[in-house]
Amino acid sequence: MAAPVGSSSGCWSAPEVYRHHEQRRVCISRPKYREGRKAKAVKVYTINLESRYVMIQGVPAIGVMSELIQLCALYGVVEEYRPLDEYPAEEFTEVYLVKFQKLTSARAAKRYMDEKSFYGGVLHVCYVPEYETVEDTRLKLQDRKRYVVRTVQNKAREEEKRRILKEDTVSADLATTSETIITRPDTEKPETSNIGHYYGFPLLPLPPQESPYNPHRGMPKEDKMGTLYTAVTETNPQPISGSSQPSSDRDRSTRQKVNSEQSAAVRFVPRTTQLENRKRKMEEDVEHLSADPQSNNEPLIGPKLPEPPKIDMEDESLNTTMNMIRNTMKKVESVSCPKPLEKKVKPRRRI
Amino acid sequence: MWKKRSYDDSERLEYLQTLVTEFQDTDSEEAKEQVLANLANFAYDPKNIEHLKELQVTDLFLDMLTEENENFVEFGLGGLCNLSMDPECQDIILQSSGISLVTNCLSSQREETVLSAITTLMNLISPSSRSEITNAAMVQCMLRFSLSESPRLRNLAAVFLQDCCTEEEVAQFKQQMQGQQTAVGIPLPKD
Repeated sequence: MAAPVGSSSGCWSAPEVYRHHEQRRVCISRPKYREGRKAKAVKVYTINLESRYVMIQGVPAIGVMSELIQLCALYGVVEEYRPLDEYPAEEFTEVYLVKFQKLTSARAAKRYMDEKSFYGGVLHVCYVPEYETVEDTRLKLQDRKRYVVRTVQNKAREEEKRRILKEDTVSADLATTSETIITRPDTEKPETSNIGHYYGFPLLPLPPQESPYNPHRGMPKEDKMGTLYTAVTETNPQPISGSSQPSSDRDRSTRQKVNSEQSAAVRFVPRTTQLENRKRKMEEDVEHLSADPQSNNEPLIGPKLPEPPKIDMEDESLNTTMNMIRNTMKKVESVSCPKPLEKKVKPRRRI
Repeated sequence: MWKKRSYDDSERLEYLQTLVTEFQDTDSEEAKEQVLANLANFAYDPKNIEHLKELQVTDLFLDMLTEENENFVEFGLGGLCNLSMDPECQDIILQSSGISLVTNCLSSQREETVLSAITTLMNLISPSSRSEITNAAMVQCMLRFSLSESPRLRNLAAVFLQDCCTEEEVAQFKQQMQGQQTAVGIPLPKD
């Protein structure tokens, strides 16, 4: 059933159906401890089965090719794509061939797009290594081998260092910090990260690798609540934003500063939070601008108005909330006042 | 951070150990297949290779190559194909006379098995093992594969011939093959 059908396999012949295109039946007889998060078939993946060429079946035939390719592009650069019109497809669906620039992108695309609904259809994504050229196959194998050797060596090196450190009977905490500092440069592979054609085969973006960004700073320690909040603000007291702001705005910008510092240390801020921060920043800028025209003749140095005294709630999160409320109040005041004024002024001029 | 990671590491070893134990203890063919596939897939991630070596999974995979069950052979060889990327595993496989075991799988009816076998053999090539892998029979087999209808098999055989053999060798064995007309022997994989 799966054997290649036609004898000539030029580029004009109909694409052939292979066994590895089939969606295997999900295995349901696994004991609990071997059950993964996702139900999967019993299948072994080797480098031979993987490819930067993927075939996407089950695309509804409603002219959504560009949407499909846009979706693919989320996972990496798409080098080529085309519909496989001759490939046997279910009624009202289409089959596409997508060639990614990198194998890792193809892997991510397969992982996240397979069995996902798409415009009312359910996609089936599989690797199609039969579209590879000899050169593709060669590079794929070479990159894979290089990656494995490098990873194994790095791991051995880390292990070795850990052993030495343990032998030196350094206290556990010290060991962890110095360990990370020493070994991190090894785990980073900057030299090939962009050059390698099929660079890298990490299965996931590994959480431990998030830490090496500031190897000289050491690891932030968690407080009792398990957050990095206090530790981070202590280690880095310089304000990142607002250094050029007038002194009166200093306090107001602390909240903002704290946010940006947090993001600098933890390195992961959800996009929505970033957008919110940005929006807040912009709003504050607007606030400054809207306040400025009133004081056109005055030099901009120094405090403009005495601000209401600020109560220290002796808790950063409470203070943050206070600041937010204060800012909102200010915004309401500043927005409602100047606009009616201008409106009154303009008609007078015209008449 | 580091502590957590090494904890995960030992936990992983424990899990792999559980898999190996289940594989050895169970009588269910199905469970064996599942566990074997699990182990073979774990072998894909180089982070597990150290543990798998420790648990002597390399030998477990090699044992599978002589099984009747085609799935056992395919999964075992898939595991070997994954493991053989690592130089130390290559040595282990070579020491357990892996070359002949893997070579025998070239005559499998399953394409996946044959592909794994070719990749494994290519990985096993070292200065000392080279003559054993790129001998006349093997090159002739690859020459036949390079004419196969399956593009994957064709490509992989081409890589083998281009990267692992010299042009003279290929030309020489090709001539021998034409002279003898012995293209029979190894059946091509069906799927």
